[in-house]
Amino acid sequence: MGAGVALFDYDNDGRLDIFLVNGAPLGDPTPKGTIPQKTGPEYWNRLYHQKPDGSFEDVTERAGLQGVGYGMGVAVGDYDNDGFEDLYVTAYGGNRLYHNNGNGTFTDVTLTAGVAGSGWSTAAAWVDLDGDGFLDLVVLRYMDWDFDDLWCGEHKEGYRAYCHPDHFKPISPLVYHNNKNGTFTEIGEKAGLSKPAKGLGLAIADYDRDGHIDFFVANDSMMEFLYHNKGDGTFEDVALVSEVAVDIDGRTYAGMGVDFADYNNDGWADLVVTDLANQRYALYLNNGDGSFNYVSPNAGLAQMTLAHSGWGVRFLDYDNDGWKDLLIAQGHDLDTIELNSPHLHYREPMLLARNTGRGFVDVSAQSGSVFSQTWVARGMAIGDLDNDGRLDAVVTTNDGPVHVLHNQTQTQNHWLLLRLVGHSSNRDAIGAEVELVTAAGSQFATVSTASSYLSASDKRVHFGLGKESSIQRIEIRWPSGILQTIKDVRADQILQIDEPAGVPSSRKP
Amino acid sequence: MTLQLAKPRFLLCGAIVYLVCVAMCNAQTDTDFDKATTEFRAGNYGAAAALFARAESSSPGKTAALLYQAKSLVHLQNFTEAEAALRRYILSHPDSDDALYLLGFVLHRENHPAESLEIYTKAAAIKTPTGDDLKVVGANYVLLGDYPDAIKWLETAVRIDPQNKDAWYFLGRAYYSRGVLPEARRAFAKVLEFDPHNSKAENNLGLILESEAKPGEAMDTYRKSIAWQKQDSRPSEQPYLNLGNLLIQENRMEEAIPLLEKAVQLAPGDGPCHLKLGAAYLRTNRMKEAQRELEEATRLAPENAPAHFQLGRLYKQIHSLDRAQEEFNRVEEIHSRTANTRPQTQ
Repeated sequence: MGAGVALFDYDNDGRLDIFLVNGAPLGDPTPKGTIPQKTGPEYWNRLYHQKPDGSFEDVTERAGLQGVGYGMGVAVGDYDNDGFEDLYVTAYGGNRLYHNNGNGTFTDVTLTAGVAGSGWSTAAAWVDLDGDGFLDLVVLRYMDWDFDDLWCGEHKEGYRAYCHPDHFKPISPLVYHNNKNGTFTEIGEKAGLSKPAKGLGLAIADYDRDGHIDFFVANDSMMEFLYHNKGDGTFEDVALVSEVAVDIDGRTYAGMGVDFADYNNDGWADLVVTDLANQRYALYLNNGDGSFNYVSPNAGLAQMTLAHSGWGVRFLDYDNDGWKDLLIAQGHDLDTIELNSPHLHYREPMLLARNTGRGFVDVSAQSGSVFSQTWVARGMAIGDLDNDGRLDAVVTTNDGPVHVLHNQTQTQNHWLLLRLVGHSSNRDAIGAEVELVTAAGSQFATVSTASSYLSASDKRVHFGLGKESSIQRIEIRWPSGILQTIKDVRADQILQIDEPAGVPSSRKP
Repeated sequence: MTLQLAKPRFLLCGAIVYLVCVAMCNAQTDTDFDKATTEFRAGNYGAAAALFARAESSSPGKTAALLYQAKSLVHLQNFTEAEAALRRYILSHPDSDDALYLLGFVLHRENHPAESLEIYTKAAAIKTPTGDDLKVVGANYVLLGDYPDAIKWLETAVRIDPQNKDAWYFLGRAYYSRGVLPEARRAFAKVLEFDPHNSKAENNLGLILESEAKPGEAMDTYRKSIAWQKQDSRPSEQPYLNLGNLLIQENRMEEAIPLLEKAVQLAPGDGPCHLKLGAAYLRTNRMKEAQRELEEATRLAPENAPAHFQLGRLYKQIHSLDRAQEEFNRVEEIHSRTANTRPQTQ
């Protein structure tokens, strides 16, 4: 399954740090009911602090983030609005909330907060579900699972394989409402979010621009979910009627990673979902009327991904040309796959697909030798590690090293990196919608740390500006409903924008 | 018990002559039986079946007339009556391996794979099965979705009878369904070795190429399969369906639609053909034709969730929202009912 990675600035020194989730040893066989535990430093989660020279130091022990259990994913959010990013680490058998003390250390506050959960948790997202200015927490779980000794795959030496998800029952996600006092209350059922799922990927956006943040759940081998926020603290799954529950043929697929962003600059958040070989990654174009079109074949993504299996995925403008491209971590889920399907591979190179404005083109081969290396890639986080305006990536691999992809794209294109600070809204401004207008047109983005696969990315909002060296206008709709407009902004800078005092507007057009 | 490499028993005149001789040696002088035997040997199975039936009714249980009536009916593909005749014969001849093997075959053709396997098991206890018998056993496991057992028996079948192209074909299907593509390719190549213009095998090679993300080569293969079956009296809809489907995936709708129309023409009772054609019409905004095909698809295959999904999309587009919601609800219901239905071991 692999594990997640987070890119976040835990000490507010302006440089992104890296947090890596790690597993735990498993016996063979492992008795039913076992909750695997980390047995030594080789299984610890890791926090790497970025030093001023761009190198990293391992500060795991100092930070108190060694962790317990078999880790899976990570979510980043300042849940208590104290100005320091906190960490939620999912795992099999119970999750952990680490409060950032603001002094380089973290405290495990799971029990006090009441967010331990149970079962096999995967992706998680911090998002203010009810607009009260505090981040709530959505935690997906994979399936109802235990260490039963099932045999899947052929009964031949070396052919035993992971069981298909159809062997197991789905399970409800966990949804924790932030009580604003360091504790949380589980509200999945009450919020209409308890539909059993096999969730692996989670991404947020206000897809219908009604002023309420919605979210998408990438499910493995069952229908995908699109939870529409009804604005009264409850949600409903509208994936089928919105035509994002299945592919264009009406078939389910192995949804794993997901991102929710406007790739065609029309103001409406689109969706990309990674899946397994022979399924083609799903690209859904938002029609602006509450429905989506499956456009993988039209956009060139279907042909490009037919023989690949994708996990971590993000829309990102790697060349700052004003169009969001796609970076995808790949590798088949079965380590036995090549025995029966020699054309498919457990280890695969990363995929970089450039958005030309008319579709996507595979530019991996022209984008550096790193794209010819084959990995069992899984988690992926995006962020500007060196603050040079070009987005970088960190990728985790199964039983292998982590990879830092430093973006060295040669370009004269301009850029802008926005750091939004909420005051009435949650301090991370997660859920804020940003419209940026230049002479070339508009671009849109939602502030989020969630998406991809089990991972958390830089919360700062990045825009590539192409040839435009100035921005005519930036409009922000804060989660509080407050609208803010900033005019005549210089490109090529990291700009902090604080939420102004004000009265929430009614819904924007 | 020694393994006998017998030829397929239902089609070979040698066996017939032998059994007829046996019948004659038993001094079965009944006129109807003699006449029936003559008609059977001449390939007039309708007349033979009627005469064997008359022979049985005039001397019940005295001859092998019921067995031969069943054989005649098998030739006529009247499996229901063949089963009835065989069951009557077996009542008085419970150890007739010939009748038991034939009943196993008949039950397979009647799409009763589990019952067929039971009968084959009984027959095998009396006489070692031939490669052709094991081919049917393997095909039964294919029908039951038990691919490991299907592969086991079909591998045995081709080992006993390496030139049995039907066994190779089923073996290829089993391997393909199991996702073991190199072995599937090897099996279909064997079929083509014995029958160089076998359109079914070629069509399956197309499926393998599709799985290998080689759509261009797969299309060429489907085209070849279509060309090869041009002279067939009963051409298959499958290569048309597969080629049409691939063209849809490449947004080549104008090329896809005539192929899918041909598939529907060849297999009017096949839900997936109507579904593909309906979906293609829907994507080209031929709404009335799409509606006709998708409604037919859901009628023919009421448990096919993608068909209901496409019909829901269509109703949505023609602003029949209640009907759209009904179809989406049906999709949800089918998925929730059929989820997690895999056995606990594979």
